[in-house]
Amino acid sequence: MTASRAFWPFVLRWGSVIGVLIIVEILVRYNILNQYVLPRPSEILGSLGRLVTEENVLGYFAITMLEVGVAAIGLIAIGIPFGIFLAYRHDFRHAWRDWIAGLAAAPVVLMYPLFLVVFGRGPMTITMIALVTGLPPVILNAMQGVNGTREVLLNVGRSFNLSSQQQFWKIVLPSALPQIFLGLRLGLIYTMITVVAVEYLITLGGLGQLVGELAERYDLAATYAAVCFVVGVSILFFVFLEWVERWLRLSA
Amino acid sequence: MTTTGRENVLTVSDVSKTFDTPEGPLHAVEGMSFTVQRGEFVSVIGPSGCGKSTLFSMIGGLEAATSGEVVIGNDRVSAPHPAISMVFQEESTFPWRTVSDNVAFPLEVAGVPKAERLQQADHFTRLVGLKGFEKRYPGELSGGMKQRVSIARALASEPKLLLMDEPFAALDEQTRLLLGDKVLQIQRDLEQTILLITHNITEAVQLSDRIVVMSYRPGRMKREIVIDLPRPRTSEIVSSDAFGRYVAMIWNDLREEATRGMQDAEGDA
Amino acid sequence: MAQTIGLTKAQPPRTGRVAVIRVATVVILLVVWEMIARSGLLYEDVVPTLFAIAGGIVQTLADPAFWQHLQYTAMELTISLCLGGGLGILAGIVIGTNPLIGRAFEPLLYYLGPTPKIIFFPLLIMWFGIGQASKAAMGTISAFFPVALSVAAGLREIDPVLIKVGRSFRASPLQMTLKIYFPAMREPLVNGLRLAFGVSVIGVLLAETKFARHGLGFMVTQFYQQFDMPALYGLVVIIFGFAIAVNWLIGRFSRAV
Repeated sequence: MTASRAFWPFVLRWGSVIGVLIIVEILVRYNILNQYVLPRPSEILGSLGRLVTEENVLGYFAITMLEVGVAAIGLIAIGIPFGIFLAYRHDFRHAWRDWIAGLAAAPVVLMYPLFLVVFGRGPMTITMIALVTGLPPVILNAMQGVNGTREVLLNVGRSFNLSSQQQFWKIVLPSALPQIFLGLRLGLIYTMITVVAVEYLITLGGLGQLVGELAERYDLAATYAAVCFVVGVSILFFVFLEWVERWLRLSA
Repeated sequence: MTTTGRENVLTVSDVSKTFDTPEGPLHAVEGMSFTVQRGEFVSVIGPSGCGKSTLFSMIGGLEAATSGEVVIGNDRVSAPHPAISMVFQEESTFPWRTVSDNVAFPLEVAGVPKAERLQQADHFTRLVGLKGFEKRYPGELSGGMKQRVSIARALASEPKLLLMDEPFAALDEQTRLLLGDKVLQIQRDLEQTILLITHNITEAVQLSDRIVVMSYRPGRMKREIVIDLPRPRTSEIVSSDAFGRYVAMIWNDLREEATRGMQDAEGDA
Repeated sequence: MAQTIGLTKAQPPRTGRVAVIRVATVVILLVVWEMIARSGLLYEDVVPTLFAIAGGIVQTLADPAFWQHLQYTAMELTISLCLGGGLGILAGIVIGTNPLIGRAFEPLLYYLGPTPKIIFFPLLIMWFGIGQASKAAMGTISAFFPVALSVAAGLREIDPVLIKVGRSFRASPLQMTLKIYFPAMREPLVNGLRLAFGVSVIGVLLAETKFARHGLGFMVTQFYQQFDMPALYGLVVIIFGFAIAVNWLIGRFSRAV
């Protein structure tokens, strides 16, 4: 029954996608849609190969992932401990929590001139802007994860006379881990989005810059192909994060 | 079989329900036949897994029978019928509506104008003992009170038959006994015809004029028992000898069926 | 031990202490900024003094061009939220109430949601030109996903017994929609709109930064090119303030209603 439950949605989903692509292909071929605005899907597909060989898309990809990776380290090293700190010091929590949540709503990217001057015209700037954007969910979820430790588990620890340190490492942290990872996953998503966005805006390397360049060159098929590549990378990244979170949750 | 000697309000004729599953056809209910007369309180009792809830859905018109028919008054039931109101086992009040608006819901659906339906709703809200709570939200009420709202809502459209599926299952014992008293009082005041689906023997004997005992799956009628205890009844009746005898008789029947049910479950495990 | 006792139990805020921390934080940040500005550690112009920034705020607010650009941005934002939100609600309703369509298409929305929407902007320019339409389209795409996903999830998670109640009282499809689905969907919708507002603002402003002739994002780029840093920071502070204020307002609204 599970097989048939998944079967029809699968068919409907991919059938629609392929159907739309075929319709677009026909519409462009017969000039109903302007090919100088929307190239044929088959042409776009063909350009993907060109991206790798002529445009060094993999090199740009590496730069983007490097920036995300360094930002990720920052999120873990700064965001998680800070969130845990806030969970323990409730005065600071009450003072700062709404500010941190508010920061998430603010367009931090507009501060790029400041970041450029402090960190130079290079990948570091992008990494730092992305780091700031990704921090709020990491901090807030780490904080909530620790605060959400079930009282009964702490009582078990007390009944065994555990010290505060032991309580933290053996009970609080393991209990908070699922939500910490959730926050990290959210933060990494914001980080990745910011990295690509800033690359596009300030053209300091990476996939964002590549898309911008191809667009300026009016290489339509390649631009569309690059956009698809970026979307594909972002989806794979998201899937990877989900997989890691599930794997960690199962083994923890 | 009849206890009030009046006309039939509900006739269940040879109703069966079979589900198609990957493991083969599942016979949930087989050949159930019984009637409910006007003013009667009839309970259908059976072990867990015997198909009671399926029977409930079929009588209420939420599910179609594979064979046989359900007749209310002079109409065949093929979809939810205006003369039958349902009270579900799970908590089913609309959390975003006040008690008053919850109770008025069936009248709203039927297009009754606002002033009239609120007046009618408040009448039934008072009837279930929730006077003063009209403007409160379900989130502010206890489990027992929320079920009373659901009962008031079901009564608001003045149905010929009130159909209830284990409405007190999620409540504690004391609340259950008190609500049982409340339902009996309502039945007296309104001369309401009630069909109750339950697994609780004392509840069934306390409240009913007649009990239909269902067997374990496939659910068939095992026995019909007339409960010849004096009315009006209250929860005090649970301590009488006659009460004890009825309970023992039904438990005898159910024990067999419940044991079959447990063995089935162990076999699956 | 005392630490962990306070860990999970909700502690009421000691408002005195909290106020002290907040004031101290703001003061320290401002002092550090001012020190960096005056020390010449970084180019003085890029980190202007607080006084200069205050001047920048006033100057910007007094500039009629600001209000004109604000109108452009506000218009693009409004279209984005209405169009993106509206389409999102429709899509969310279809996906949330029909199990087959839901299982088929919700994964598509879910996995496309976290992509950097700005990457579509070059394509939007090809389709809509560098005028306002492309910015509104950018905001619309950004706003669509959070709304569609929240509405779909909210509808999917309606307690099934409530649907049974509606059916048992023979509610028509329109009645089911208005009396059961809509109320159940209200809270997730507000959350979705809050998120949509946040990403829409960013999408529209960034688009204006890259390719525009009008709008607050364009104004930011203009100030940067002219290297009028105090005005730039003034403008950024104003935009930040607006974004945070609206976000806070929506939060209060959703809790109160």
